[in-house]
Amino acid sequence: MPAKDYAPIDENWLENAGSLWTTPWVDKPSERVIVDPIILSHAASLFRKNAGYFYQNPDEAIRMVCHACELYDVTPVGHYLYADYWGQDYGAEIKIQTNSPPGITKRPIKTAEDVDNFEVMDSDELAKGPTLTTHYKALDTCKEEFPNMFAPITQLGGTMEVATNWAAIEDVFMWMITEPEVVDKLCQKAGDHMVSACKATAERYGANVMITGSVIASGDLMDTEQIKRFSFQPVSRAVRKVLNAGAGPGIYYHLCGNHTDDFQMWKNAPMSPFTIVQIGYDGQNIFPTSKLVEHFGDRCTCFGTVDTKLIDRGTPAQVYEQAKEQVIAGKDSPRGFILGTACECPTNAPPVNVHALVKAAKDHGKYEKF
Amino acid sequence: MDIKITEELNNTLKDNGFKEEEIKEIIANAESSGQKLKARDGDISIAKGGAENLTVYAVYSPSELLDVYTHKMSILGLTGGELNEIDYDDASEWACAKCGEIALERNVDMTYMGVTRPGPGLVCPKCNEYYVSDGVAKTLKTAEAILEEKRA
Ligand SMILES: [Zn+2]
Repeated sequence: MPAKDYAPIDENWLENAGSLWTTPWVDKPSERVIVDPIILSHAASLFRKNAGYFYQNPDEAIRMVCHACELYDVTPVGHYLYADYWGQDYGAEIKIQTNSPPGITKRPIKTAEDVDNFEVMDSDELAKGPTLTTHYKALDTCKEEFPNMFAPITQLGGTMEVATNWAAIEDVFMWMITEPEVVDKLCQKAGDHMVSACKATAERYGANVMITGSVIASGDLMDTEQIKRFSFQPVSRAVRKVLNAGAGPGIYYHLCGNHTDDFQMWKNAPMSPFTIVQIGYDGQNIFPTSKLVEHFGDRCTCFGTVDTKLIDRGTPAQVYEQAKEQVIAGKDSPRGFILGTACECPTNAPPVNVHALVKAAKDHGKYEKF
Repeated sequence: MDIKITEELNNTLKDNGFKEEEIKEIIANAESSGQKLKARDGDISIAKGGAENLTVYAVYSPSELLDVYTHKMSILGLTGGELNEIDYDDASEWACAKCGEIALERNVDMTYMGVTRPGPGLVCPKCNEYYVSDGVAKTLKTAEAILEEKRA
C-alpha cells in the first residue's frame, strides 16, 4: 500500500506518545509508562498481510508498523528487523517465508577452516550489502515519511546469534564441546562484524542504537560459563569498541530466553547514557520486573515484560494481570522504565491482547516519582 | 615540557573556543601532578582539565599536541557504587601515570541537565580518577545533544 492510502497520523497522539517515550530516557516528567510491544510483522496482520509480505516490502513494513503504533497507542518508533540478519552479506541464502520472518537456509561457514578464512566486512562494504540495503530502505522510509518516529536502529543480536547465522547452530554447539577455540574465533569475528555494522549506521544517520544481547546464548541452551565465554565477553568487547568508535549512543540489551544463572554478569556490560536492559525469563517464568529493577534500576533504563506466549495465546485478562503486576513493580524505577513483551509481538497475536497490555499501563502505570 | 601545536590543530582549538594557553596549562598540571593516562605501549599521554560543566582532554606526545576533546556530562563515580569483580577483560590500553595501575574500562555515572545515567569510562582503580576516550566523547556529544533537546 503506497503512503497515500494511509490515513494521516494524529499529530496530537504523536506528540503525546513522543513525550511518554522521552521520559524513561531523560527523566522528563510525563503521565505514565509507555508500552513497547516490539511490533514487527504483527503490524502486517492488522492490514491482512502476512510476514512474508512484510519482509519483502520494507518501505510498506515501516508504514504498517508506524500506523500500528498509533492504533495501539504505543512507543512511536518504526522498527524493521528480523533475527536472521548478516548471513546473506557473507554468502548465505535466505528464504522468505509466508508466516514467519525470513530464515537462512545455507550458511557460509561449514568447517573450522572456514572460520579461520572468514573475513569480516568493513562498514562501507556492509552498508552496500543485502542486509543493510533492505534495512536502510525501511529506515529511510521512516525518516522521510515519519520523521518523528525515526530511530537509527541496528539489529545485531549478540555474538552467538551472528555466529549461528554464519555457521549451522549444531556445528557451533559441537565445536563448543570439541574445539571451543574455534567458537572463540567465530565470536570474535562476530564482534568485529557488530562494530562494522554500527559504524555503518552511525555514518549514515549520525547516531546509532544497537540491539544486542543474548538470545541463543541463554540458560535454555548453554551453561553459565559458555554464556560468559561466547556471549557476554565478546558482546561486551564489541559494544565497548562501538562506543570507543563514537558509534552510539543507544544500547538495547535484549536477553531473550531464560537468564536466571547469568543475568548478574550483564550488570557490568558496557553501558552508555541511553541503555536499556530487557530480560525474558527467570527459569520457566517471566522475569519478574521487581528483580530486574532491583539489579538494574540504579544502572540503566529497565524494560519489563509480559510473556509473549500470553500475548499470543492467553486471554486479555491474563495479559492484563501480568502487565499490571510488572508495571506496578517497574514504573518508578530510578533510571526509567518501559513495559513491553518478552520478545517480538507474535505475528498473529490477537489485537485485544496487545490492547490489554497497553490498558494495564494506562490504568496502573501512572508515575509517582515525579 | 615544550609542546608544539600544529597550525591546523590550533585552528581547530580556536574554532572550538579554546586558547592555546588553556591547553598548555592542562598539560603542565598533568605533568607536575602525574595525574594523567599514559599509553601502555608508547609515550602518548592524556591530560584532563576544565570545569564541572566541561571536561577537557589533551592528547599529546612528549613533543606535540595530538588532539583535544571534551564532554559536558560530568562524571560522578562508578556505576553501581563500587569496583566489583567483573567477568570480562576490562584492561584498557592506558595506565594511570601516577600509580602505574592499568586503567579499567568500567561504567561510570555521568550527569547532565539533571539526568544521571551510565557511560563507558576509563577508571584508575587506585586513585579513583575517571577519564573517557576520544571516541566515547564523540558518543557523549550525541547523548548531550539529545538531552539538550529533550530536557529543554
Ligand atoms: Zn592511579
